Amino acid sequence: MALVLFISVFLISACGLIYELVAGTLASYLVGDSVFQFSTIIGCYLFSMGIGSALSRYIYRGLVHRFIWIELMIGLIGGFSSALLFLAFAYTQAFALLMYFIVTVIGVLVGLEIPLLMRIARTHFDFRDAVAHVLTFDYIGALAASLLFPIILVPRLGLVRSAMLFGIVNAGVALWSTYLFAPQLGARRLLRGASAVALAILLGGMLEAKRITAVAEDNIYADEIIFARDTHYQRIVLTRFKDDLRLFLNSHLQFSSRDEYRYHESLVHPGLAAIPAPRRALVLGGGDGLALREILKYPQIESATLVELDPEMPRLFSSNPMLTALNQRSFLSPRVHLINADAFPWIDSDQSSFDFIVVDFPDPTNYALGKLYTTAFYRAAARHLSAQGLLVVQSTSPMFARDSFWCIDTTIRQAGLHTYPYHVYVPSFGEWGFILASHRDYSVPKSLPPGLRFLSAETLPALFQFPPDMAPIPMPPNTLNDQVLVRAYDRDWKDISH
Amino acid sequence: MTDTRRQFLTGASAALAGMTVKGESRIAGSFVNNDFIRGHRIRDRALISPAARAQRIPLVIVGGGMAGLSAAWRLQKHGFRDFVLLEMNDRAGGNARSGENEVSAYPWAAHYVPVPGPQALYVRELFTELGVLRDGVWNERFLCFSPQERLFLYGKWQEGIEPAIGLSRKDREQFQRLEDLFTTARASGGFSIPMELGLHRSPRDLDRLSFADWLRQHGVDSPLVLWYMNYCCRDDYGALAADTSAWAGVHYFSSRPPEEKGPLTWPEGNGWITNQLLKRVGSFVRTGQMVRRIARQGTRYLVLTGSVRYVTDAVIYAAPTFLASYLIEGFGRLEKFAYSPWLTANLTVDRPPRGAGTLERAWDNVVAHSPTLGYVDATHQTLRSHVDRTVWTFYWALAEGAPAANRALLLEKDWRYWSEAILRDLERVHPDIRSCVSRIDIMRLGHAMARPVVGSIFDPRRRDLARAQGRLLFANSDLSGFSIFEEAQFRGVEAAQTILHRLGRA
Repeated sequence: MALVLFISVFLISACGLIYELVAGTLASYLVGDSVFQFSTIIGCYLFSMGIGSALSRYIYRGLVHRFIWIELMIGLIGGFSSALLFLAFAYTQAFALLMYFIVTVIGVLVGLEIPLLMRIARTHFDFRDAVAHVLTFDYIGALAASLLFPIILVPRLGLVRSAMLFGIVNAGVALWSTYLFAPQLGARRLLRGASAVALAILLGGMLEAKRITAVAEDNIYADEIIFARDTHYQRIVLTRFKDDLRLFLNSHLQFSSRDEYRYHESLVHPGLAAIPAPRRALVLGGGDGLALREILKYPQIESATLVELDPEMPRLFSSNPMLTALNQRSFLSPRVHLINADAFPWIDSDQSSFDFIVVDFPDPTNYALGKLYTTAFYRAAARHLSAQGLLVVQSTSPMFARDSFWCIDTTIRQAGLHTYPYHVYVPSFGEWGFILASHRDYSVPKSLPPGLRFLSAETLPALFQFPPDMAPIPMPPNTLNDQVLVRAYDRDWKDISH
Repeated sequence: MTDTRRQFLTGASAALAGMTVKGESRIAGSFVNNDFIRGHRIRDRALISPAARAQRIPLVIVGGGMAGLSAAWRLQKHGFRDFVLLEMNDRAGGNARSGENEVSAYPWAAHYVPVPGPQALYVRELFTELGVLRDGVWNERFLCFSPQERLFLYGKWQEGIEPAIGLSRKDREQFQRLEDLFTTARASGGFSIPMELGLHRSPRDLDRLSFADWLRQHGVDSPLVLWYMNYCCRDDYGALAADTSAWAGVHYFSSRPPEEKGPLTWPEGNGWITNQLLKRVGSFVRTGQMVRRIARQGTRYLVLTGSVRYVTDAVIYAAPTFLASYLIEGFGRLEKFAYSPWLTANLTVDRPPRGAGTLERAWDNVVAHSPTLGYVDATHQTLRSHVDRTVWTFYWALAEGAPAANRALLLEKDWRYWSEAILRDLERVHPDIRSCVSRIDIMRLGHAMARPVVGSIFDPRRRDLARAQGRLLFANSDLSGFSIFEEAQFRGVEAAQTILHRLGRA
C-alpha cells in the first residue's frame, strides 16, 4: 500500500511538471523569448497551484473520489494542452490567452492533488510520515520529469505526444486508484468507466497526433515544427530553433531567417538597382513577401504585383507576427497588389508591362514545376518586360546542380533574352545562382539602396564571375515537350546525395 | 489474347451482376452521339422520299470529317466558294470530333498528330496557317508536354510505351532486330506519309501476309515484343497483328523519323484542328444533312438529302467508303474494306487516383496486357502547375474476334455494362478509381476506322477509287487503307485540287 501510493505521488508530480515544461517550451518555440516565457509560465503555474492548495480546504468528504476526478481532468487537459496550443497558434490570434488559461487550470488542479493525497495518506500513516513521504516523492518525480523531458521526450516523441503520454499516465493513476482505494470508494464502476474513456481518448489522440503536427516528419526537420498545414496546394511547415526560423514547402527548404537576407538581397538588387526609373514590379512565386520587402526599399516603385497560387502563403505571411516581422509587413503596403493565380496561365493572359520581374519559383523537382522554367514561359514573361526592364530568375545552385543552372541559362537565351548569370553564397542553401535577363545590355549598378546587410556596390561585380567548377557548360534548352531540366535536376541532386 | 479478353468480359459481366449494389455509386453518364442509328437508316434505305426543293450548285462535298473539311479548306483558300459540305451528324469533325464539359475540352476519337515529316506538305501548310509551325519550328505549346507516355508493366509505371524495364536478352535482341528492319524499310522511302507518295517504291508482297506472320518469319516470338507490336496495331488500326497487313505493320514503324519530341496534341485532341477549319469553312457546312442517294443525271449528279435535291457538276465523296455501296447508284459491293469497331469514353476525374506507382501522370497511360488501349489525360496540355479535376479519354478498340460480332456486342450491351468494364480495367492500376470518377460518357463507333487487312493496301478497287476519273471523286482516308489525320487531309486536299482542274477553275 505504502509503496504504490508513493509511486502515484511520483507519477502525478512528474505529470504536473511535464505540462509546465511543455507550455514553456512551446511558447518559446512559437513566440520566442524563452526567458520571458518560462518565467511567466512557471510563475503562473506555481501561483495557480497555490490557489489549488487553498481551495483544497473546501473539500471535506469523498477525498479519493474527488482525487480520481481531478486526475482525469488533469490527464485530459494536460494531455491535449500541447495539441490545443499548436492549433491555437495556427488558427487563432489568441495563443497567449489560451496558454495562460490552460496553465492556470492545470496549476489549480495539480495544486489540489498533493493536499488531497496527504490527507488520504494520513488515514494510512501518521501525519509526520505522510508529509515527509508525499513531499519526497513529489520532488523526486519533479527531478525525473525535468531530466526525461529534454533528453528523451522532446527528441523522441515531440511536444504533442509527450503531453499525451503523460495525460495517459494521469488517467492510468486514476484507474489504478480505483483499485488501490477500492474499500473507501463508492460508484467504482462509474469511475472506472470514466477512466477507461479518458484513456481511450488520450490513446486515440496519441495515434492521431500526426495530423496535428508533422510528427512523421520530425526526422526530416532538424528543428521543432512550430507550424504545419496542408493547404490545397502544398504542405507548409515552419520550424524554429532559437532565432532560426525556417520555411519548408513540401519538405523543401525555402529560407532560413538567419541568412535569407543574403538570398533576397541578391535576388532583387543586382537587377532592380540597375534600372533607371523602375515604377512597376512583378513577383511570381515568393509568397513569403521577402522579395517584396526588398523591392519596397525603392521609393520610385509605384506598384509591386505578386502572383501566388496558394492564398495561404500571403495570408500566413501577412498575419503571423513572427513572419510579418521578417518581411517587414510587406503585404500590408498599399503599393503591393496580390493576385491569387497560377503563374503561367496568368502571365499568358495578362497584358501589363513591368520594369522588373522576379521569377522565384520552387526548384524544378517535377514536370508540373518544370513548365515554369521553359522557353514558352520565358517568352511569355519577356512580353511583359519593358524595354529597359530586367527579369531575374532563381536558378538553383550552379555548384550542386551545375547542369540545371546552365540549362536554365540556355532556356532563357533561347526565349530571345540576353542573360547575365551570377551567384552568391547562402549558408543554409550553399552556393546559389540567379540569372538576370533583359532585352538590352546590362551593367552592374553603381549604387544600391542603403541599409543592405550583404550586398555592396564594391562586391557586386564579383558575383558575376564564375570559378571553373561552376563555369558554363553547354546544355539544351528546357521546353514544354522535352523537359530536360527536370531530368538534369534529378541527376544533379542525386549525384551529390550519394 | 482471346482468352484474356473473354475472361475479362466475363469478369466484367459477373461484376455487373454482383456489383450493382456497390456499383450503385454516384457515377453518372450515358451513351453519346449514336451515329449508327442514322447510319442504319442509310443501310436500310429508309426515308427515301422526293426532296422538297432543288438547288443547283457546282460542287457538293459529302461528309464533314477531316477529308471533307480539308477539301473545303483548299477550295476556299483557292477562292472557290460555289459548294456545300453535307454532314450527317449535328456536328462536323468525324473522327476528329471533340466535346467539352466544366472541367476541360476533350477528344472523342483522334487525339494527336505525329510531328509531320517533310513529305506531309499539306499538313505543314495547314499547320503554318494555324501557327503551329513557324519558321520551320514547331510551337512547343502544341507539342505534347513532358512526360508524354507511360506504361504499366510488372506492377510499376515506366516512362515511354515501348517496354524498357525487365527485358530479357531475347526481348532486347528481338526489339533490336525489328528496329534494324524498320530502319531499312524507312530508308527505302517506300513507307511514306502520305502513303500515296511512296507506294510505287514499296514492296507489294508485304501486303500478301499478315503482320503476325511477318513477325514470325523474322523469328519474333518474345511475348513482350509481340504484345507491343499488337498494341501498336490495335492503337492505330483497331486490329490485332494477325488481322493487319504486314505492309501496314511495317508502315506504322517505318513512316516516321524515330527521334521526334511530339506528337502535336491539344486538350480536345484533333477536335482543335476541326474547330480551326470550321472557323474558315464553317459557312459551307450543312450539318444534320444525311445524304440518301447520289445518282448520275446526264453530265451532272443528283445528291438527295431529306430536304434538298442538289443538282451538281461534281461530287467529292468524303464519307466512309463502305457507305458508298448504299448511297451511290451503281457503285456495287466492296471487298477488302474492313472497319474496326471502337469504344471511346470520357471520364470526369474529380481527384487524381492514389497509388499504383509514383511516376508523374503522363499524357498517354497504357497498361501492358490489358485488352484496352489505356487513357489520355485531357488537361495534360495545360499551362497550369496545379490541376484538381481532369477528363480522361479512354480508348478501346474491340480488336479480338470478328468486327461484325463486336459491333453486335457494342449495340447489345448497355451503358452500365461498358462503364463497369472500363472501371474494372482501370482498377488494375488505380484501385480507388471508382471514388475518383463522377461521370462516364461512352461513344460506340461501329465503323471507327478502316482496317488495313491483308491485301487491302494494293487492292485494285481501292486504287481505282483513289484515282477516280470524272467528276465523282473519293477522298476518305480509308482509301489509304488506314485512318489517320494526315491521310484524310491529303485525300481531301488532293480531291479539291483535282476537281478544280476538272471544273476548269484551277
